[in-house]
Amino acid sequence: MPENNNISPPELIKDRGSLHPINHMKDSIMDLLTSFGFEIVNGPEIETEEFNFDMLNIKKSHPARQMHDTFYVENKSNLLRTHTSPVQIRGMLEKKPPLAFISGGKVFRKDDDATHLPMFHQVEGIYVDKNVSFAQLKDLIYKIIYSLFGDDVELRFRPSYFPFTEPSAEVDILSREGKWLEILGCGLVNPVVLENCNIDSNEYSGLAFGLGIERMAMLKHGVTDIREFYKSNLDFLSQFK
Amino acid sequence: MKIAYKHLVQYIEEAPSIEHISNKLFQLGHEHEIDGDIFDMEFTPNRGDCLSINGLLRDLAVFYKVEINQEIYTEKLNELELDFENLSESTCPKISFLKLEIDQIPEIYTNSLDSYFTDLGLNKNNFFTDVSNYLSYETGQPTHCYDASKMDGKLLFHEVEKNEEFKTLLDKKIILTGKNSVFSLNHNVINLAGIVGGKSTSCSTDTKTVIVECAFFQPEAIIGKSVKYDIQSEASHKFERGADPECHEKVLRRFIKLVSEHTNIKDMSIISFEYKDNPIHQIPVNVHKINQIIGINITEDDYLNYLSKLNFGIDKDIIKVPSFRSDIKTQNDLAEEVARVIGYDSIPRSEISIPKNEKTNHKDLENKLRLFLLDHGFYEVINSPFVSLPAEEAIKVDNPLDSNREYIRTNITNSLLENLLFNERRQKDSIKLFEISDIYSSKSCINKKRKISIIASGRVGENYIDFSKKINKKYLEMLFQEILPNEAFDFKILSRELLDTKIKNEIVSLEVDIHKFPDDILSYEEISSPPDNFNEYIPISDLPCSIKDISYSVKDFSKIKDLSDLLLNYQSDIVKNVFIFDYFKNEKTEEIKIGFRFVFQSKIATLTASEIDMIYNEIVIKSLDIKGITIPGMKKNV
Repeated sequence: MPENNNISPPELIKDRGSLHPINHMKDSIMDLLTSFGFEIVNGPEIETEEFNFDMLNIKKSHPARQMHDTFYVENKSNLLRTHTSPVQIRGMLEKKPPLAFISGGKVFRKDDDATHLPMFHQVEGIYVDKNVSFAQLKDLIYKIIYSLFGDDVELRFRPSYFPFTEPSAEVDILSREGKWLEILGCGLVNPVVLENCNIDSNEYSGLAFGLGIERMAMLKHGVTDIREFYKSNLDFLSQFK
Repeated sequence: MKIAYKHLVQYIEEAPSIEHISNKLFQLGHEHEIDGDIFDMEFTPNRGDCLSINGLLRDLAVFYKVEINQEIYTEKLNELELDFENLSESTCPKISFLKLEIDQIPEIYTNSLDSYFTDLGLNKNNFFTDVSNYLSYETGQPTHCYDASKMDGKLLFHEVEKNEEFKTLLDKKIILTGKNSVFSLNHNVINLAGIVGGKSTSCSTDTKTVIVECAFFQPEAIIGKSVKYDIQSEASHKFERGADPECHEKVLRRFIKLVSEHTNIKDMSIISFEYKDNPIHQIPVNVHKINQIIGINITEDDYLNYLSKLNFGIDKDIIKVPSFRSDIKTQNDLAEEVARVIGYDSIPRSEISIPKNEKTNHKDLENKLRLFLLDHGFYEVINSPFVSLPAEEAIKVDNPLDSNREYIRTNITNSLLENLLFNERRQKDSIKLFEISDIYSSKSCINKKRKISIIASGRVGENYIDFSKKINKKYLEMLFQEILPNEAFDFKILSRELLDTKIKNEIVSLEVDIHKFPDDILSYEEISSPPDNFNEYIPISDLPCSIKDISYSVKDFSKIKDLSDLLLNYQSDIVKNVFIFDYFKNEKTEEIKIGFRFVFQSKIATLTASEIDMIYNEIVIKSLDIKGITIPGMKKNV
């Protein structure tokens, strides 16, 4: 005969869901950047060529335009944005410097394989003020990377090319396996882009950077196949509680 | 582009190692991999000038003593009589032709020409084409060789806009469509300019007289053509990125020299057509601006020294940009040159402080909703917007990846329904999903709405209270009423009639404009929070699951905890999940009935019944070791 028959029932374990790991990664980065002073701006995923390319100094004849391999819609009257940079153009046209914006969301390129998807996510930031320098850009990037990967991570800057920044750089971190992994692209805003947004490039300069969210999430979680993120498989999603 | 280490290092006085050059190339922004003694280079699109031995050497000259000393033919050349007309001078503002006649076709190659084919393991074509290909590798300037014996008539460069069949020198037939820049002979296209020459006038192993064309084409006339016609063309790769308009005579004189190193030249003549001046681009010297852009403090002497080594001309206060650097226009471009030479990693950090204004977070409502749904077991998903079937006001993609992705979705629910069926097929019996997304439609203009959609079906939850309850419309209505008692949400039951499934559970969904969601949600006190860190992902199994339930009768209630601790924490490679699905205390019989559900799944292979039974029996035996616990209908020694 049991001595205590007033025992309470077992703990009721309520099922909790999870945020999508890509949105969680995006939110984490946006939170970090807002803590640095950036303001969140949003823009449409369906864009015009003007905002997606022309205003960003991506000329019709430029190889970069070919690089993007863009989805056009409605008889080429519009396109699916290939990056979140047009949101910053809209922001710069609306407000006067000093300004510091970030935008995050879906972007689209005509790729589809184990490492590239036609839809992926980016977070981009821009800061325009007087005397913004490449040395300050480096400081900001160090702060971002250290916050995301720890102060002991080794990183390097490599010259690169983006029509909307000059000088341009790509940033790599050294993985635990000793391999350099590309993390983000950045640079000083090309004065042509500032002038396109009615900002006097003799008075102001700016820095800009962009991160691929899937890449970051894959590194942070150790996911090796990007397609896993978009199968909506509960076995997968339930790991990110 | 593949470049042999030995082809570079022969011009560098210090004879640096391949690793040393590799490090310097990375510093300059020239990505590459090394395969043996070969650099496999990948240049940024603005550096078309680097697509050659000489191009790379010009950049490396900032670090090493480089002497580009390739010999050229220096004697006076006769003027070539050529019936040529350029009807599109803006596309081709400069073009030269060289005609050469040789005595004998060489059988073996020497010097650099031989080294090019041997070291890079390339196949030879015919003598003149081989010289042309090498020259492109050495100088970066593509040239095209016509067999002079096949060039009888008037040569015309022009833009055509008619459908026409064209056979390339590699025997590939293509149909020219849209606007193309071409060379024609007697009204027949013989060369798709800057992309690939035609079969009808191409050189062969018998060609002894050649007309070499050396041109500058505007990149926009070339861009996209090789992709459009599916032609692998090194020439177009170079012209797309911008060639050097000022190199033609030197390149053609180098052509003569290379030929003369292999055979006797009987006759040669040259002609050049220049339709537009190519003024030298000039930028004022302003080291203060350069220092400001980079955030350093170099002297003007150092600055000008760097530029000088990179072949920039310095004339008092003016910097003259070399003709091959079409990418340099502004002080920022020059700053990048300096930064590359210094090394991006050597530029010191300078503290940045972004002024903090009062920022608003427009996503409060959205985030609150997400956490509310998390609290009730919903998982957030993200779906592709591309769908196969058109819907009213759906936006059509002009260039879809395939016919299954021709339209942009006009609702989220259909995506969630697919997600639900996918998980049902994976034996999930409690599915709750949601997605928040912008949704686009087009009538007279493009409309955007930010929407949330939720879908749910199956058991309410995997615990002993919710396990036996099924999700239905009423369940979701009550869930939302808890926090939003004044709102009536239009939950819909989705029919399973046309779905490929035998499962009968009710599917309930809701799709609503997020901005119409009542602000009351903001006062909801959530339990869930986003994870603090990023879990290491454990690869999931796609193999089928097996389910086994064990129901116990417990007389000694104090043993419930022991039993739960044992089973809920049971460690096995094939036990994927365990939870209590049933709990009932019978006051009359003073007995507790408790049921545990085990989900078995392997990551290696589909489980056999005996593999599952082995673990199952182990669980049973261990649990029955606890005194006062029985499994109705089963003896301990089973």
